[in-house]
Amino acid sequence: MFDQLAEIITNYVEVKKEDIRPESRFMEDLGFSSFDFMSMLGEVEDTFDVEIEEEKAAGIRTVQEAVDYLGSL
Amino acid sequence: MNELSSTIREILVKASGAYGPQDAVRYKAKRDKGNGKKETVVVAKTYRQLREDSERFSAALDSLGEQGAHIAIVGDNSYPWLVSYYGTVNGGSVAVPLDANLPAEELCELIDRSDATVLVYDKAREAVAALSGEKCPKLKHRIATDPEASAADVPEGTLLFQEVLGKQTPGYSHSPLPEDLATIMFTSGTTGKSKGVMLTHRNLAENATAQDMGFEPGMVLLSVLPIHHAYCLSMDILKGMSLGTVICINDSLLRVLKNIKLFEPNIILMVPLMIETFAKKLEETDWLPAPLIKAKVFGKQFHTICSGGAYLNPDYLKRFEKYGITILQGYGMTECAPVISSNCPKDKKDGSIGKCMPNCEVKVVDEELWVRGSSVMQGYYKMPEETAQTLVDGWLRTGDLGYVDEDGFLFLTGRKKNLIITPNGENVSPEELENKIGAARLVQEVLVREKDGVIEAEIFPDQEYASKKKIRDVEGEIRKIVDDYNEKAPLYKRVVSVKLRDTEFEKNTTKKIKRF
Repeated sequence: MFDQLAEIITNYVEVKKEDIRPESRFMEDLGFSSFDFMSMLGEVEDTFDVEIEEEKAAGIRTVQEAVDYLGSL
Repeated sequence: MNELSSTIREILVKASGAYGPQDAVRYKAKRDKGNGKKETVVVAKTYRQLREDSERFSAALDSLGEQGAHIAIVGDNSYPWLVSYYGTVNGGSVAVPLDANLPAEELCELIDRSDATVLVYDKAREAVAALSGEKCPKLKHRIATDPEASAADVPEGTLLFQEVLGKQTPGYSHSPLPEDLATIMFTSGTTGKSKGVMLTHRNLAENATAQDMGFEPGMVLLSVLPIHHAYCLSMDILKGMSLGTVICINDSLLRVLKNIKLFEPNIILMVPLMIETFAKKLEETDWLPAPLIKAKVFGKQFHTICSGGAYLNPDYLKRFEKYGITILQGYGMTECAPVISSNCPKDKKDGSIGKCMPNCEVKVVDEELWVRGSSVMQGYYKMPEETAQTLVDGWLRTGDLGYVDEDGFLFLTGRKKNLIITPNGENVSPEELENKIGAARLVQEVLVREKDGVIEAEIFPDQEYASKKKIRDVEGEIRKIVDDYNEKAPLYKRVVSVKLRDTEFEKNTTKKIKRF
């Protein structure tokens, strides 16, 4: 799941896939804007066929937290 | 066709007369499939239905004895939100639309400060309704808009939106006057305390209808901005409805791209942050022909983006033009209901924020833009000092620096007031964040500012305290303080960059930190 997510991340911000770490923070480290982040999660919904709650999404800060949240759905 | 209206009721009555059977609003809803599963369907409400439902809501407020009262509305963009808003203001009451993303504590403070006696809330704000029992003693009624809620799901005494409407009949006939107060909208104050901007029917209705943008009636618009913002309320909703527009409600920022495919809009109002993301989306497949890319991202029918809320780099105008999409940049502030100037399809200039609205005039005083006209607010609710500082002989001091060129186009050059305008159009008061972060004992001084489009906090730690408490990793502790703050703050108020300094900040003569 981490790999697929990292692939999607590279569509939104200028960062190499190999530089993305589980502890990377979306806004602070990867340079996501809040709308980039929301749009990316919209794409993630389709890729993983899940429904993400916007309120929960706002609490996600790192790539690992996103992986954990997606795994819990 | 564009026709001036001076009350919000006039806008809806005219639209219902001219476009009665047409769809006014389209939105997604969940429906039982019968096998225990649910499916998403698109529901449409016509202009006539919206008018009738809003009249039922006006009658309901009257039957509760709350006609003329202040009605707080907090929730995501939805049909019940629109019915509550129109029902409130058209029935002669005052709507207080609140930022649904604020923490419950802050919302309760605003509800109380606005003297609201009725709270209308959606499912996601049940915590606000619960807390309001303790924090908002003036509240007499709570109305839950969740369409699936039954009496057993809500606290005792809470009214259900559907039942409230069901008990009334349409036809409530109160005609508000143009000078009647219609709405109080909260905006960030430079002292850290948000201010309630008082807007009359004339302020809002004339702002929405004075300018002929040359748009055809019956366009499809996707409403993606938060509805409690003056820009969304005035331009998406009031202006949209005055032109018989089909307003499609975006259910989540997560699903803007999907909802574009579903609703096939011609036009979207955006803030620069969204335009930046869409630019990346368009350009990621730039080997394809431009019309194909546009069709893939926005659909063939799409043609216009109105941009407001914050500064947009004019470079984006050309980047979108390549795909046949026109970006119309405008400028405004809640205090001016909110549009002050806008580019129009046939009257625009790159780099400019457009010409002043026909119902207003602009003058430049010491480089600052001052505005006068029928959009200018009545003042800040119960804040006479702040009002006197902002309104001078009927002129609104915008706090923005700029000039008007020989063709009458406005240009911005800087900002006088100390507010951070984030790329998504939110106004953030640095002092508010400084007060919150500065409350931590380890923080001796803190300065919050905007840097490269994000919020940065520069902190001078209290080294004496750190050694007294044997804190070795001062930087780590400071980051934890900021993380704790971020956890409670809405996304747009989060501090993204933290910088530590080892000397005190330079102060001015009044011992305040020099900001610039």
